[in-house]
Amino acid sequence: MSESILKLTDITKVYPNGTVANRDINMEFEKGEIHSIVGENGAGKSTLMKMIFGIEKPSSGTIEYKGSEVHFQSSLDAIAVGIGMVHQHFMLIPSYSIVDNIILGDEPNKLCFLDRKSAIKKTQDLSDKYNFELDVTAKVSTLSVAKRQKVEILKTLYRDAELIILDEPTSVLTPQETDILFDQLKSFKQQGKTIIFISHKLDEVKKISDRISVIRNGVSKGTYLNEELSMDQLTNLIIGRNLDNDMDEYKTHEDFHNAHALEIKDIFLGNPEKPQLNHVSFAVKNGEILGVAGVEGNGQVDLVHCIVGSQKAKYTGTIEILGKNATKMNVKQRRNIGMAYIPEDRIGDGIAGSLPISDNLISSYYDRADINSGLFMNQKKINELSDELIENFAVKTENRNITVESLSGGNVQKVVVAREYNTNAKMMIAEQPTHGIDIGSAETVHHKLIEMRNAGAGILLVSADLDEVINLSDRIIVMYNGEISGYFPDVKKVNAQELGLYMLGVKHQTPEEIGGAMND
Amino acid sequence: MTSKVETKKKINLSITNPKVFDAIKLIIAILIALAITFVLLLLISNDAVYGLKTILTGPLQKSRYFGEVITRTIPYAFAGLGCALIFKSGAFNLGAEGIFTIAGVAIAAVATTDLSSMAGLHPYLCVLAGMVVGAILTTIPAILRATLNINEMVSSLMLNSVYSCVSLYIIRNYMLTTTTSTIGSKDYIQSAIFGYIYEPLKITPCLIILLVCTVIVYLIMYKTKLGYQIRLSGTNAQFAEYSGINSMKLSIETSMIAGALFGIGSACQLLTQTTFFQPDKSVAGIGFSGNLLAMLGKNNPIGVVISSFFIQYLEKGTNVLYFKDQSVPSEIVAIVEGVVILLISSQYFLRSFREKKLLKDGLEK
Repeated sequence: MSESILKLTDITKVYPNGTVANRDINMEFEKGEIHSIVGENGAGKSTLMKMIFGIEKPSSGTIEYKGSEVHFQSSLDAIAVGIGMVHQHFMLIPSYSIVDNIILGDEPNKLCFLDRKSAIKKTQDLSDKYNFELDVTAKVSTLSVAKRQKVEILKTLYRDAELIILDEPTSVLTPQETDILFDQLKSFKQQGKTIIFISHKLDEVKKISDRISVIRNGVSKGTYLNEELSMDQLTNLIIGRNLDNDMDEYKTHEDFHNAHALEIKDIFLGNPEKPQLNHVSFAVKNGEILGVAGVEGNGQVDLVHCIVGSQKAKYTGTIEILGKNATKMNVKQRRNIGMAYIPEDRIGDGIAGSLPISDNLISSYYDRADINSGLFMNQKKINELSDELIENFAVKTENRNITVESLSGGNVQKVVVAREYNTNAKMMIAEQPTHGIDIGSAETVHHKLIEMRNAGAGILLVSADLDEVINLSDRIIVMYNGEISGYFPDVKKVNAQELGLYMLGVKHQTPEEIGGAMND
Repeated sequence: MTSKVETKKKINLSITNPKVFDAIKLIIAILIALAITFVLLLLISNDAVYGLKTILTGPLQKSRYFGEVITRTIPYAFAGLGCALIFKSGAFNLGAEGIFTIAGVAIAAVATTDLSSMAGLHPYLCVLAGMVVGAILTTIPAILRATLNINEMVSSLMLNSVYSCVSLYIIRNYMLTTTTSTIGSKDYIQSAIFGYIYEPLKITPCLIILLVCTVIVYLIMYKTKLGYQIRLSGTNAQFAEYSGINSMKLSIETSMIAGALFGIGSACQLLTQTTFFQPDKSVAGIGFSGNLLAMLGKNNPIGVVISSFFIQYLEKGTNVLYFKDQSVPSEIVAIVEGVVILLISSQYFLRSFREKKLLKDGLEK
């Protein structure tokens, strides 16, 4: 056995709102290994990493780094001893150059001036050493997501990190980019660095890890050598049962006469030199799920803003919802003609956190006649409706009067989906509907979306999770750089690898092929 | 079904329940404020125990004192109600002060006009004038916000100065009294003054207007569609947009109701506490106190009224003390008010106790 670099003993974390994120976790990390931590979303992986990196303090238990006990007051202390972390959401300043982002907080000085020259040299040397292929004087805003991730990794290397934590690094990458990342991780390993790799994608974990630790419901389920574990054993450890990935069997195929729930014609957004959306056209039919795949930041968010009618998006082109021209309509008018929306940022756009669950379950149709009577809202009806939805969507809560912010991520999302489901809308925009929630909740969400689809609703599914897009969709479009780069009329004939090439812009279909997205 | 509901209604009386926690916080904040007052009294007065006792019981010594507390509570409570409504909707409009003043001009204009033919209605016409002016002018920051994206805190504070100067201008040029040397309107016509509905405490119909308005504001806030929109927008404006709430319409509606409340409050002050209108004196400070009272009452209409009464009670107490012991300035009440508001609005005050309890509960689970 090689030497231990980090040892966690009986780590327990309770958040101020009473949530127990981790309980009695014991784990040991060895120098020079790639150690994966797997578990469902919400199982407590991120909390554990935050404690190792000094962002959160454990409620009890000890952390030993290189044999001595440490008590990090902040992440600065962790960085000082050689721990680096690449967060799921990048911490970069887009308008700064790569080198400025990297030296920020640790600037080399000559006399009292910033020694930019040696900073550039040092970062460029580092980048070249690991084949990052970066020009460190380029601005971060010009970089692709994969390159930004490299900058984040470079940032930890610049600070001489010996232990690097990567939190869900592949969630923003295409399959091809993931391979490149894995090569780099292996070269770090050869340099004697220790990698902690957080993921919920099991095939990747199997591919890269030396050892795997499993966390379930905040409790450690043990550490195993990679070769000891089969895929089935691993899934069983993570969720306690086998996964039911295939949604196809739940789909029914009624004929909705190819009527369009949503029709997007020639949408253009942004300035002519650098458009965010460049003449995008497609249609979602009644009774189908149209998946939108793409690396984050290729126009999907803007597209959704346009369709929802957000004030932020001043677009040209036309949008028809259920046969009505909605181009000039605001959110309310669009909702009135049959639109529903599950926003990506559920906390920021999907709930009013400090209000009770019941208030959050009616926000999309608070003015509907059945929950209003005369001057006042009909609280009795609202309560009945809330109880019904809470039961139907299995929202885990004591009662409907609890503030929605005290629920777990998965349950918050169930509240959001329950509400939008209950609008009885025939056109639904589902933006990252299962992002960051536990598998059980994700399953509920998926089944409800299929249910709506079977009942004739047209659903636009925007997701960065390729598996989700492929499992749920009937047809798929891929977005790259504000345009549709590929259209796949039959989901059974595509694989993730192929989609990845279109997501990266390596391949691009002809306008005729893409036109199928509108005309099929 | 009913049995299910009953089991759900188990009330959690521990500190982990946010409502219980807030109540405990309030009580401890008041005790700390009184303790500070006591220390100050030790330093400046001859008999601190007597001083504290007088502050706390002074208003009860004579029925006239208690009546004054009630009468003086009313305009402040209206200011607090209006501010609570605005704050609840997420806007930070601090313009109550200016509205009280400019509405005062309209009220004074009606009150100094001879309307003896409709004697009984005269005070209510004054209230109506205040309501209309208040409702219209309070919408300006909301409109500026919606059309030009100007922060309503900045515009409302600017407007306070504008309204104050405009009021002075109008009074000086069109309504100036000829009998006194200060800038003020003529004396109100006798028929404009509120009569008493309960002579011993000198209670005017203003109290009834306040109670009715408090109930209305409560119902609007918690039982109507408008209130739902207000609460939703105030909690998360972005979410409100995606829910299809028209933020401009909502903020204008909210401002109009709040402005009407300010106007009524101004009328209640003028027609019970003054005999003629002085723009820089008659309603000075009430609007600003309204902002604090809304915070103290946590934007809850009933909480706001109780807070207003509490502050006026203490103010009267220190007044009574001042009669008897000139070494204690009546401004000492501002210290109590300040400390209580500071501690109540603090997110950290007592928080660690609650977290320790939550931690314990969490580990036991």
